[in-house]
Amino acid sequence: MVDLEKLRQTAKDIVSRDDVKHIIGWKQGTYGFRVEPHFAAEPDEADALTFSPLCTNNLATYLTLAEKLPVPRGEEPDTRKVALMVKGCDSRAVVQLLVEQGLTREGVYVVGCPCSGVVDVKKVEKMFPDILEPAQAYWKNDQIVFQLPDGEKEVSREEVLPQKCLLCRYPNPVIYDELLWDEVKAWGSEDYEDVKELEAKSPEERWDFWKDKFSSCLRCYSCRNVCPMCYCEDCVLDRLNPTWTFRSVNLSENTSYHLARAFHLAGRCIECGECERVCPVDIPLMKLNRKLYKEVVERFDYEPGIDPEATPLQASYRPDDEEDFIL
Amino acid sequence: MKDINNPYKPHVATVEDTWYETYGERSIKTFKVVFDDEEVRQNWKHLPGQCAMIGLLGVGESMISISCSPTEGEFLRFSVMRMGKVTQALHELEPGDKMTVRGPYGNNFPVDDWKGKKIITIGGGIGQAPLRPIIEYVKENRDDYEDLTVIYGARSTGDLCFREEIEGLQEKDEVSCHLSIDLEEEGWPHFVGFVPSLLMEVSPSPENAIAITCGPPIMIQFVLENLKKLNFEDDQIYTTLENRMKCGIGKCGRCNAGSLYVCKDGPVFSYATLKQVPEAFA
Amino acid sequence: MMEGMKLQKEKLNDFLDGLRKEKYLFAPQKEGESLQFSPVSEESQVELDFQNTIIPPKNAVFPQTETLFTYQIGKLDIELPEEDRERVVLGIRPCDARAMEIIDRLFSWDEDDPYYFDKRNKAALIGLACLEPCINCFCTSFEDGGPASTAGLDVLMTAAEDIFILQPVTEKGEQLLSEQDLLETASDDEMKTVEKSHAEAAEKLQRKIDTEGIPQGLPGLWESPLWEKVSGSCLGCGICTYLCPTCHCFDIQDEVEGFDGRRCRMWDSCMFGEYTLHASGHNPRPTRRERTRNRINHKYAYFVDKFDVIACVGCGRCINYCPVNIDILNILAQVKEEL
Repeated sequence: MVDLEKLRQTAKDIVSRDDVKHIIGWKQGTYGFRVEPHFAAEPDEADALTFSPLCTNNLATYLTLAEKLPVPRGEEPDTRKVALMVKGCDSRAVVQLLVEQGLTREGVYVVGCPCSGVVDVKKVEKMFPDILEPAQAYWKNDQIVFQLPDGEKEVSREEVLPQKCLLCRYPNPVIYDELLWDEVKAWGSEDYEDVKELEAKSPEERWDFWKDKFSSCLRCYSCRNVCPMCYCEDCVLDRLNPTWTFRSVNLSENTSYHLARAFHLAGRCIECGECERVCPVDIPLMKLNRKLYKEVVERFDYEPGIDPEATPLQASYRPDDEEDFIL
Repeated sequence: MKDINNPYKPHVATVEDTWYETYGERSIKTFKVVFDDEEVRQNWKHLPGQCAMIGLLGVGESMISISCSPTEGEFLRFSVMRMGKVTQALHELEPGDKMTVRGPYGNNFPVDDWKGKKIITIGGGIGQAPLRPIIEYVKENRDDYEDLTVIYGARSTGDLCFREEIEGLQEKDEVSCHLSIDLEEEGWPHFVGFVPSLLMEVSPSPENAIAITCGPPIMIQFVLENLKKLNFEDDQIYTTLENRMKCGIGKCGRCNAGSLYVCKDGPVFSYATLKQVPEAFA
Repeated sequence: MMEGMKLQKEKLNDFLDGLRKEKYLFAPQKEGESLQFSPVSEESQVELDFQNTIIPPKNAVFPQTETLFTYQIGKLDIELPEEDRERVVLGIRPCDARAMEIIDRLFSWDEDDPYYFDKRNKAALIGLACLEPCINCFCTSFEDGGPASTAGLDVLMTAAEDIFILQPVTEKGEQLLSEQDLLETASDDEMKTVEKSHAEAAEKLQRKIDTEGIPQGLPGLWESPLWEKVSGSCLGCGICTYLCPTCHCFDIQDEVEGFDGRRCRMWDSCMFGEYTLHASGHNPRPTRRERTRNRINHKYAYFVDKFDVIACVGCGRCINYCPVNIDILNILAQVKEEL
């Protein structure tokens, strides 16, 4: 059971340590059902931390997002740990970053929050429009309970959870230094129904599907920027010399952008679904990522973000790896 | 769409002559170019301090300061450091090759207001390029101005632009020239040290004087400090800013330092103005 | 000025068909999963029952990607695009129309941007009064702003039970309406109902900011720790700027395929690091702190300094769609506290 007292006390203890810079968690947002990332550097700042079905953000992205300025002459670089609150999916990003050596184990202190699924805020806002007052929510069996100005509303998980949560197989953090409460029972099974649905279509139908979606892409790069696994300092898609993808926004370049990203995430995507959540024009990016996820599992029996001791997929080789896809 | 007055449509110009000022990875190459179209050539008017967008079709454009004075003739000069995609491509150009030019953009040094004053230019590295037109302009209108003092330095002799030209000034034109390099080199007859130190060595009087400085941000910072030590008032000090630019005409948005658009409100600013803008020296 | 006119809702499609004779008609239509303003080719696709489009209609006069000219590699001839067509933007919300009037000032600063004004001067804006504002709308915070504001509009259209009321605002709007034969004069009662619905809509707005003192005070907060605090969670994506109806910054790129070259411009965002990155590698706005500070200052101070108006219309999009809940009203509230 979620224990906010314990969460805040733990966070206070952690930020009191000399070797910790801050703890990144969630706090109530500025309105309605929004929750925002919160960086607590002092114990009193930890009071704002929270955990609920509204805590959608995968905070692991902040491990690599910080833009580091050169350390002024005569000053020592800040080598303190960053403490991070993670749900099951978020923790897989931490593992994958460790696997890829994008992060050192000593650099991060992981606080695990077993999670029963977070909501799709867009769905919730449609269900309960015009709620400006900060609202809260909690898990109750198979329901999500929303505390609204006119009382509590129970909604079944199916109605408000995004597909990534309904299919989730890792609700409990796979890596942590500290677990805040008991693990929850996993509910997801991996049958790739969502992927199979697209696979069953003809190539023309699939292209029609994606054409429609990619056409509306604005190239705001929120999917890339929010992705904890997109942490290249110099993204190939920003490169101008040479230019791999033009900045012009049209179907061709948008497709090039999304396919490049999907391939770069093959064997690396940890299914947190943040790309899909943040997309302002609702491109179902997880369908793309999950297709490649399925390929990787089936062909190489490899799941990213589970075992911190694993070798990255692209850096590993087995003599009996299938080669039938190589032209 | 109408052809005339389309500020995005560049003019074609031919490289008449080109030479390297400095060598190395970030070499500086000077281009002397002439517009192909007679009408464009005649309508072109610029003053010291202004810039132009030069580029190549298929590659792109860069905002470069015009490094010649209009008094020098019906041509333009650009001294370009090899940096990004566009400047790398420009460096491939040889005499007879074409480039595109549009402009001129930005404000200019207030050369009319400075008549009757002493002019001191303080440049570092490629920063001498926007200062060169003033020197040429003052030289050409010598009777309108009092003393002309040129203070210029670079990291090494290999990094000095326009060296022969500046050394040539020493002897004629009633110009007092002072050159420096950061570290001692054999055969170097001039000052050794940073430009701000050279400035103190020269110690120009602020009386009826205007100081114009251009160079790397860190140099400008110390030059400003030293000019203040020499009792120059804020409105006696001028510099030019540079920022990334795309349009050159105040539309694309990116060159602002605070509420100043460098492409239109600048690139020339007095220190009195810039002091109000914290982003100016970012 | 011509009186208010009415259109039976059942005749909407015929009306739209009449509007797009020899003109582009931009109206909200479904693109992928979202509603966007795009040229209408089939009236039945037009959707007028919405709060506001996710992507603002600025693309009707300032497309996300626009070719400035084309050329052939190895040759020097520059081919400018054809002049654009007359256009009607129907269904634009009053906030977004005000936004166009605001960015007009930038695009006409000293000299007109020929590409922008080629479209802008040919555009008639038929606004749709906003009777159900969204939770983060704060348009009434601005002089001239409001859910039925006519600023920037040529015609104000309001949905009533089974009619639309169309009120001409400018001569252009009057001319446009006089060309349509499906309109009838609205009765006094109908006009009163519409006015009442406008007043009620304004009452529904839940958020507001008193902008007094912000433009003058903002630059003084340059070194405030506030900027670090409000930008800490920023992802550096382009949502807040691309979806902003007053954001107008663009990039220019040469794009070459085979021997066909084009120089085009496309929306750019001050929230991207590359935006201000010098070729030398130096970046005057090296982190999201400086970029966020610039975004707020640009809207609420620099633009005011230059063009006498705040470059924000209170449409609420940057709040609605920010993935990490960076809320401009929250930032401005903190700014006011520090003033």
